[in-house]
Amino acid sequence: MTAALELEGLRKSFGKTEIIRGVDLSIGKGERHAIIGPNGAGKSTLFNLITGRFPQTAGHVRLHGHDLAGKAPFEINRMGLSRSFQITNIFPRMTVFENVRCSLLWSMGYKYSFWNMVSKSRALNEGAEEILEQINLSNRRDLPAGVLSYAEQRALEIGITIAGGADVIMLDEPTAGMSNTETDYIVGLIEKVTEGKTLIMVEHDMGVVFGLCDRISVLVYGEIVATGEPEAVRADQAVQEAYLGAALEAEH
Amino acid sequence: MTDTSSIMTKKRSYGGLTTATVAPWVICTVILLVLPYVFQSNSALTIMNQMAITIVFALAYNMLLGQGGMLSFGHAVYMGMGGFMCMHVMNWVEYENIPLPLPLLPVIGGLFGMGMATIIGSFSTRTAGTVFAMISLGIGELIAASSVIVVAFFGGEEGVSGDRTYGLPVFGYEFLTKIEVYYLTAGWLVLSALLMYLFSRTPVGRMANAVRDNPERAQFLGYSARWVRFYSFCASGFFAGVAGGLFAINFEILTEENLNLVTSGSILLITFLGGVGFFFGPIIGAIVFTLLQSVLSLQTELWQLYVGALFVLTVMYFPGGLAGVLMMHVVPYKLGKLGTLVVPYIKTLIPAAIGILGLASFCELMFHFKHAAVGEHDMSLFGIAFSTHSPIPWVVIVAVTVIGFWLAKRNSVELRETWGNANVMTPSKEGGAQ
Repeated sequence: MTAALELEGLRKSFGKTEIIRGVDLSIGKGERHAIIGPNGAGKSTLFNLITGRFPQTAGHVRLHGHDLAGKAPFEINRMGLSRSFQITNIFPRMTVFENVRCSLLWSMGYKYSFWNMVSKSRALNEGAEEILEQINLSNRRDLPAGVLSYAEQRALEIGITIAGGADVIMLDEPTAGMSNTETDYIVGLIEKVTEGKTLIMVEHDMGVVFGLCDRISVLVYGEIVATGEPEAVRADQAVQEAYLGAALEAEH
Repeated sequence: MTDTSSIMTKKRSYGGLTTATVAPWVICTVILLVLPYVFQSNSALTIMNQMAITIVFALAYNMLLGQGGMLSFGHAVYMGMGGFMCMHVMNWVEYENIPLPLPLLPVIGGLFGMGMATIIGSFSTRTAGTVFAMISLGIGELIAASSVIVVAFFGGEEGVSGDRTYGLPVFGYEFLTKIEVYYLTAGWLVLSALLMYLFSRTPVGRMANAVRDNPERAQFLGYSARWVRFYSFCASGFFAGVAGGLFAINFEILTEENLNLVTSGSILLITFLGGVGFFFGPIIGAIVFTLLQSVLSLQTELWQLYVGALFVLTVMYFPGGLAGVLMMHVVPYKLGKLGTLVVPYIKTLIPAAIGILGLASFCELMFHFKHAAVGEHDMSLFGIAFSTHSPIPWVVIVAVTVIGFWLAKRNSVELRETWGNANVMTPSKEGGAQ
């Protein structure tokens, strides 16, 4: 069985600075995988490399066994990979409903058509309503997305990310900047909407990571120092020295 | 709790034609049909035709600016090229006896405009920001310059002219009279506006909004921002070309003026004045601008100064344009408080209008004082004749202006307060509204 996502010797340099220094990682289908690491470790850069936002300097990214080299973000998305962003990235001037509906268009096969009316398609509109219900934003349906609260915008972003039906979901710090209750809410949401899908997330909140994920990779200075199940990673000496020790101490 | 569950269980009907969506179209069509009976003079028909053409052009332009987030400084190219092509076709129809009915001519203009847009758009729509604007400016300048070089197509300085009446008669109409041309133009106006509206409801039209708001996010939803822009650009080029065809039919002449940057600039101004955020914004802009241009220009030589001032003030204080100002009143209307605004509006806007007229009078007086023929001291404003070299009119005008603005400013405090109240639900009513 091919892995859902496979990284092989992935490297990225900005000028002379090497940010990602050879990452090998294999994430299986249906796995929930977290990438953690101190600030500046290159987690977001790694995400951007995988999703085609930046071209890699060397190495390979394979999605279901297909090499993603040279593919534009929209092509990668069509192959079944969807992502959210660290900084909320929605369509602020469109309504919440429109946001979700737009994210369904491609996967429902509408492409660039100008002979279909979006309001006429029952499947499209009901699909969008369903997602709104999943992310609990049905009562915000007709508001411009830009006026939602921060947590609601994050929820909407997750809704947009999963709407297209991609089977590999990448979330970049979905709970960043949230209060405890908001975090609980978002974690529950993530659990619900990624059921049966492959999830890769960058996260700072250790509680979230250990509760949600099957496996964890620790990224330090562009290299993965450990990969494994939460308990194993927590016990790993190198990880504790490099990163976790400080974080765990801070929690107490 | 009951509130949310009622939303959940409420069955929404999709795509059904409702009174709310159809009514504006029916009303506008009826108005278009009736207008020539109200304004019967030839000059009124000319103005209305001009208005209809500008509306089509402005709506086409707003497909880029308002819906696609692309600021074009050279959109006259697509209207002009469509128009020039139509003039040539009109002449071929005359000399070669091609059986082409005149009402179909705008289609040719549209296709030619779209052809141009396909070529230019293939490289200009790569990004939306400054690069797109600069390319559009460059292309605009390039085509306008070639109008004196490629004389065979653009007809040099005198342009290309023709005669619309040689087309195949349609039900006996040969489009000799203005009124026949009016109905042709109005028909195309309704058709184009409807098609452009429907375009905005299609998947590619919706994604145009998405790409405008956030091109990167759209990419991660499976859409190439560039292709979405390209399709919008081609569609916009088509309708600009249709407007060009209508121009050719109405005026039977196209010149360099139809291509140049002045025309491109004024369509930007018109669209912005009307409001880019709403579909009907450019329609209002086109109507207001055409009226100002045709009516105000008969009254004063300084009309461009006033239009310019209006534009600057709109950009500064009402970025939503006139449509935005209208739509601001939806909330007070829904809260049933529109009535409370009437009196403060009257108390503020009438002195403001007097102040503005006073200021305009001052400009006119100054202009007359400086530029009138030597020894010519008499002028009249609002039907009052006076001498520009006597101090009395100066004093009166300055006084009227100052008092007008002072009153407006004083009363605007009350208006602002009422406006604030009109936009919030009063606590006592809130219980009842649930």
